[in-house]
Amino acid sequence: MNDMRLIERAVNMDDIKISARKVQVYYGDNHAIKDVNVDIQDKTVTAFIGPSGCGKSTFLRCLNRMNDTIDICRVEGDIHLDGEDINDKRVDPVQLRAKVGMVFQKPNPFPKSIYDNVAYGPKIHGMASNKAELDEIVENALRRAALWEEAKDRLDTPGTGLSGGQQQRLCIARAVATEPEVLLMDEPCSALDPIATSQVEELIDELRTDYSVVIVTHSMQQAARVSQKTAFFHLGHLVEYGETGKIFTNPEDERTESYITGRIG
Amino acid sequence: MTDATAQPLPQPEGKKSSILVADAHTAKRNAAEGRFKAYGIIAILIGLLFLVALLGSIIFNGAPAFTQTRVTLDIPLNEDEIEAAEASIVKTAKYNDLVGTAVAKALADAGIETDMEPDSLLRMLSGSAGSNFRNRVLDNPGLVGSTQTFEFLASSRVDGYLKGRVTRDALVDDKNLDAAHLDLVDQMREAGLVNRGFNLDFILGADASDTRPEAAGMGVSMLGSFFMMLVVLACALPIGIAASIYLEEFAPQNRWTDLIEVNISNLAAVPSIVFGILGLSAFIQVMHLPQSAPLVGGLTLTLMTLPTIVISTRASLKSVPPSIRDAALGVGASKMQAVFHHVLPLAMPGILTGTIIGLAQALGETAPLLLIGMVGFIASNPPEGLTSGFMDPNSAMPAQIYEWAKRSDPAFYERAWGGIIILLLFLMTMNIIAILLRRKFERRW
Repeated sequence: MNDMRLIERAVNMDDIKISARKVQVYYGDNHAIKDVNVDIQDKTVTAFIGPSGCGKSTFLRCLNRMNDTIDICRVEGDIHLDGEDINDKRVDPVQLRAKVGMVFQKPNPFPKSIYDNVAYGPKIHGMASNKAELDEIVENALRRAALWEEAKDRLDTPGTGLSGGQQQRLCIARAVATEPEVLLMDEPCSALDPIATSQVEELIDELRTDYSVVIVTHSMQQAARVSQKTAFFHLGHLVEYGETGKIFTNPEDERTESYITGRIG
Repeated sequence: MTDATAQPLPQPEGKKSSILVADAHTAKRNAAEGRFKAYGIIAILIGLLFLVALLGSIIFNGAPAFTQTRVTLDIPLNEDEIEAAEASIVKTAKYNDLVGTAVAKALADAGIETDMEPDSLLRMLSGSAGSNFRNRVLDNPGLVGSTQTFEFLASSRVDGYLKGRVTRDALVDDKNLDAAHLDLVDQMREAGLVNRGFNLDFILGADASDTRPEAAGMGVSMLGSFFMMLVVLACALPIGIAASIYLEEFAPQNRWTDLIEVNISNLAAVPSIVFGILGLSAFIQVMHLPQSAPLVGGLTLTLMTLPTIVISTRASLKSVPPSIRDAALGVGASKMQAVFHHVLPLAMPGILTGTIIGLAQALGETAPLLLIGMVGFIASNPPEGLTSGFMDPNSAMPAQIYEWAKRSDPAFYERAWGGIIILLLFLMTMNIIAILLRRKFERRW
């Protein structure tokens, strides 16, 4: 079972899920992202690292067009998901976001029950035709987020009553429930303690079997632990992108080396 | 460790200052803080004093309006007399004569001696006694031939005498009653003919003309206010919420929305009389809706309440954390789904509170009603049915209070204060509901 997965993983490693070319993002007059080119592979964890304000979160939000919700934000360049331009006029961002799920920095469960939190996405996308199917989706999502054992007896209690780490896993379950193809995570562990962080990291590693995961993180150790590919952003530029092992041991760019050795950032 | 604590603490030689004594600068700062706290407490005490004075004077002046003096009389309903009265030209005059005779007879039965004519005795009763008598006889023709007990309202002078408002000295120049009447009242009271009881008619009844303050009630104007509030609720709530949701969640941020925003804020500060004249020209002169109708009043008050509702709704939408919207959009909800499934339910307590405060403001508003003819003596009966409730001339509670306050008879003055008590009770109830709603639906995230 495990071996088969490994083979499958190896086979799919080279599939490019998202490719971005010459992406520019402006906040009003501020040029936040400059000329970013990147290919994100399927069934891989890609980490975006870099100092605060370097644009990694902004770029992440381009991938499911969450920047549309910010009035002054303007995105230029090509971002293709499976070869289709996500900024095409025909693309409904709502449909895109169902394919490209997102987990945010701060756990943000809806102030509803745990069940309703997870069931909301499947419900609005019409993924379940009856209660039994919905129950199954909810259970699977919670299992995948490693929250089922803790939450199964209190599905009708408010999601906001969980601990921080549980809330973040609930948000991951909520994102997973809509069966996205790509999962974007914007510093998912920054509000969590080390134990919760390690649980979420384990989870990210498991999610890699089905999804392409893109994670923004401040912690270089975390990037090294969970990702296969790492991209280093600095002042809006994508400085270096490559195998995680190579970035951390033998970076090509001077700025990358300065950052990972702690001289900048 | 224990050795260390056992050692005496080092005492530095020639230290500059001790923290045990406040230095001049600190003392000055503390004194300033103490003074400021004292000012605050004084300000609050002054506020409380005014509040107590206000409530005290309202209750002291208004409470008597809730009791009313009545005169109990047994009147034989003689068929011939009633036919004769119906045949006369001024029917109630004849009925008044019958009541006057009944008063004289009741006095004689009770052993109270008087040399006054029935005509003069009748002045102790409300001017409406004759017509009340007639109405009851006409409503129940079967009663003719028997002797019935009637309770008539005492005149406002007699009522005021029992409440301590009217004195014998005050009646020297009075055309209606003189001191002799009051002596009679004392005796009648001992004989049980005159009673002072709870005045339900004040709460449920209609306004009465200048000469009969004892018959005036808030009931019909209360219904007027009720129908106006229905109009305000039905118009202002959907329009206000729709406008705020659009402005807050969907509208782009540009010069036009900024302009609209500034104007809405300004509208909230526009004097209410301006809305009154707008209502007059728009609803009555252009749309030809009837004057004095609660429908027009409600529409005018809607104009006035809208900015309040829009501002409070926008504030409560704004207070919903953006992370909730992100969460909904992140799982692929559309903008509208995010707003209606998540943001609106969270903002609801704030919206409801704002709406109720807006309604309470509209309920207490008089100025705009002046211009659309809802302030004045509108002698109407309680409306029959919904259409009549919205379209027939009516007053409103604050307008009724204003109307009473400017009439000359001091008995109306007492009713005005009583009306204020009723109005304040309504406003207090609405505010309590607002607080309860906020408590019940308040959620933390």
